Amino acid sequence: MNPIQTDIVVVGAGPGGYVAAFCAADKGKKVILVEQEKKLGGVCLHRGCIPSKALLYATKMIHEAESSSARGIQFSKPTVQLDKLRAWKDAIVDKLSQGVSGGGQRRGVTVLTGRGLFEDSQTLRVETPEGQKFIRYQKAIIAVGSKPAMPKAFDLGNPRVMTSTEALELQDIPKNLLIVGGGYIGMELGTVYAALGSKVVLVEALDSILAGADADLSRYVMKYAEKNFSAVRLNTKVSKMSTSGKEIKVNMEFDGKKLEESYDRVLVSVGRASNTEDLGLKNTKVTVDEKGFIKVNTRLETSDPWILAIGDAVGGLMLAHKATKEARIAVETICGGSDVFENVVIPAVVFTEPEVAWCGLTESEARQKGIEIKVSRFPWGASGRALSTDRAEGMTKLILEPETDRILGVGIAGIGAGDLISEGVLAVEMGATAMDLAQTVHPHPTLSETLMEAAEAFYGHSTHIYAPKKP
Amino acid sequence: MDIRIPNLGEGADSGTVVSIYVKEGDHVAKDQTLIELENEKAVAPIPSTRDGVVSKIHVKVGDKVTVGQIIVSLGAGASGQAPKLVSAAPAAPVSVPAQSQASLVSAAPGDYQYVSKSGFPPPASPTVRKMASDLGIDLHRVKGTESGGRVSLADVKAYVQYLQSLASHPKTPGGTSYMAPKIAESVDFSRWGPVRKKAVSSLRQKIAQKMAESWATIPHVTQFEDVNITSLMELRKKYVGAYEKKGAKLTLTSFILKAVVAALKKYPGFNASLDENTQEIVYKDYYHLGVAVDTEQGLIVPVLKDVDKKNLFEISKDLETLAEKTRSRKVGIEDLKGGTFTISNLGGIGGTYFTPIINKPEVAILGVGKGRHVAWDVIGGAVGATGRSPLLMPIGLSYDHRVVDGADGARFVRAFAEAIENFSEKDVKQ
Repeated sequence: MNPIQTDIVVVGAGPGGYVAAFCAADKGKKVILVEQEKKLGGVCLHRGCIPSKALLYATKMIHEAESSSARGIQFSKPTVQLDKLRAWKDAIVDKLSQGVSGGGQRRGVTVLTGRGLFEDSQTLRVETPEGQKFIRYQKAIIAVGSKPAMPKAFDLGNPRVMTSTEALELQDIPKNLLIVGGGYIGMELGTVYAALGSKVVLVEALDSILAGADADLSRYVMKYAEKNFSAVRLNTKVSKMSTSGKEIKVNMEFDGKKLEESYDRVLVSVGRASNTEDLGLKNTKVTVDEKGFIKVNTRLETSDPWILAIGDAVGGLMLAHKATKEARIAVETICGGSDVFENVVIPAVVFTEPEVAWCGLTESEARQKGIEIKVSRFPWGASGRALSTDRAEGMTKLILEPETDRILGVGIAGIGAGDLISEGVLAVEMGATAMDLAQTVHPHPTLSETLMEAAEAFYGHSTHIYAPKKP
Repeated sequence: MDIRIPNLGEGADSGTVVSIYVKEGDHVAKDQTLIELENEKAVAPIPSTRDGVVSKIHVKVGDKVTVGQIIVSLGAGASGQAPKLVSAAPAAPVSVPAQSQASLVSAAPGDYQYVSKSGFPPPASPTVRKMASDLGIDLHRVKGTESGGRVSLADVKAYVQYLQSLASHPKTPGGTSYMAPKIAESVDFSRWGPVRKKAVSSLRQKIAQKMAESWATIPHVTQFEDVNITSLMELRKKYVGAYEKKGAKLTLTSFILKAVVAALKKYPGFNASLDENTQEIVYKDYYHLGVAVDTEQGLIVPVLKDVDKKNLFEISKDLETLAEKTRSRKVGIEDLKGGTFTISNLGGIGGTYFTPIINKPEVAILGVGKGRHVAWDVIGGAVGATGRSPLLMPIGLSYDHRVVDGADGARFVRAFAEAIENFSEKDVKQ
């Protein structure tokens, strides 16, 4: 059988893969996009970012309705129709997925459904429903992404032990839900299920939730979780799980005590593992690290001259927008451009209550690396917009270089932080100084003013908080 | 009113602040020293240009500053009020490595190097970074003019223009293009044994730059000669005591200075400079001789002015003072400028012939080695009246072959040798 000839083959159609395919097609390349699932979009669209945000939005209403009574507007207690909620969520995912497919069609990208395996450095075998197909390519971009990690000790083969994939399918609303892992996935899904009425117990092995975020930002989320979850247990290790009738029996060590508890469901959210096994990489010169992430240089080239790799498959920050940026750089590399993935500011957003977002240097990272910084904070209690939205819990902070006042990092906690952070990303990318931010007029009354006021506070002339002048 | 770094003279457009003698609120008088600048080959005091009260000091010790940069701002000093004098005797200059810190000031654009304490790359927008990367420009070398030192598109353009000007005028003074054309990759010498590292001082950098520039641009020829100094050394022996009583050290260098002037007067091409821009040879009717002085920090060449108008005693006395000032690095910028010819006497240390590098823009330099007795028949001359073998002083004259030719080079060393060999006793007597 004659192999299909193409310029570029992209393996995986998530936010890294489909962007790479589209970008290469826009540059006039002949592109084949290989995806093992029927629908394009990858984990982000089907089992990650998008469905979780839909559920967070929908369930937020339950809280809003409740808290509204304090403002003199009373709603009756909301009832949840789970089937309808699930269908609404799925419709959003479908609509977006169709959008991706349409984008591919219009650009002339050929989509092959099936699992891809490398036969050698320049040949990919795809197992399609119609049988095997071989693709002979000039360059391949691996964008196979990652999957939820499931430690062997927790893998009981019991559907009551879930990963984020199953949790987002909303089988039922468990009465008692244990979440193992206090990272962003555990905290976001905990927020959804707690709002739906589950009694959520969250355990985290480390001494804080939301690793990577500064403690003065994550504390708002901690406060929310302590109020709305049944328990948040830090420094806690789950030692064993076992099936016990319709429940899962869990043994854990917390506060020096050994506990044995039973839950209707358990969500394991302890990280993500790369999907690079079973890809036939051993038939190529591609090398992986001890965790299975593909080794690449700043141009996203692997150790095989025919193959590039991007996204979660290469590790680093496992975020959709990082994969998308890498996709563009990988295509630039193939087309002879000079772009490299270096000094790229990748913002992180946690869609909890409230949201937490940061970019560039964090305060804790600076302390860790011994980088001298100055920090300016603006608490949202002084923001007219935050107060009038009845969400005064929050903070905007700037991490600054002492001699130049250059903005090295921005951190925000509060509602809408995920959208506000983009101004911070722009500031860091542009090499802006606190003075630049302070001098830029921000509309009143908005939450974006908190960025300006944090900068003003640095110079001791914030309008809404009193900070003594710098010596 | 701002006081700025004044014009420092040829080839010197920057320096490092080594001391600051005033503080904010101080009254200063016109001509009072504000700061000391380590520059070129000396530490130079920068005086105030008027009376006033210091309202702001814009530099700090260790800053690299350029001509035109503001040093201090003066407020209105009530005239008539006695200015408070600050530390009349300047403290010994402290040697500060000329490392530009995150300070965003530099000399020529080519000298600039961005260093951030936080370890972050130079601030610049993604557009600017992409353009620099496409052009193969290292943004660390581009001085940013926007707030916080951010590099703008205009800064990159200016840098590209600077690079272009370097390419079309490779003789631009102050450029570092005479150093190795491409900086070689660093070798990790610690692989073979323990090493110690030391930052190159600004003086060392200046020497390196001047030597490399001279070597790269001047076609050097070195003419050797042996000069019989047997009778000259007897003369010196006879008068050294008398000179000492009058407070001057009579050295061989004093005689050499006098003899050089005699040779220069005969062959004025060696007391000239080539103006490369106008293609003119500039003959100088004055005789200011540079004398290479070995200091702890490295080579410095102070200039002894109007040697032709001085007698041997004055030459000896002035030379001693100048050398002492140089060794203690108290020599002023003015003492380093205006030389017409340079003498480098290594005879006191040892070694015979060497090929000195011309002190540009001069035309020639005389290198003197250690004298030694040789058997008479080697040079085919007669043994002196005393019956001893003659004492010969080895010399090497390097000259710019663009200005003078080999025949004149040979004539010059002969003229010099004759002036030494026939040194008149009446010129030594006081």
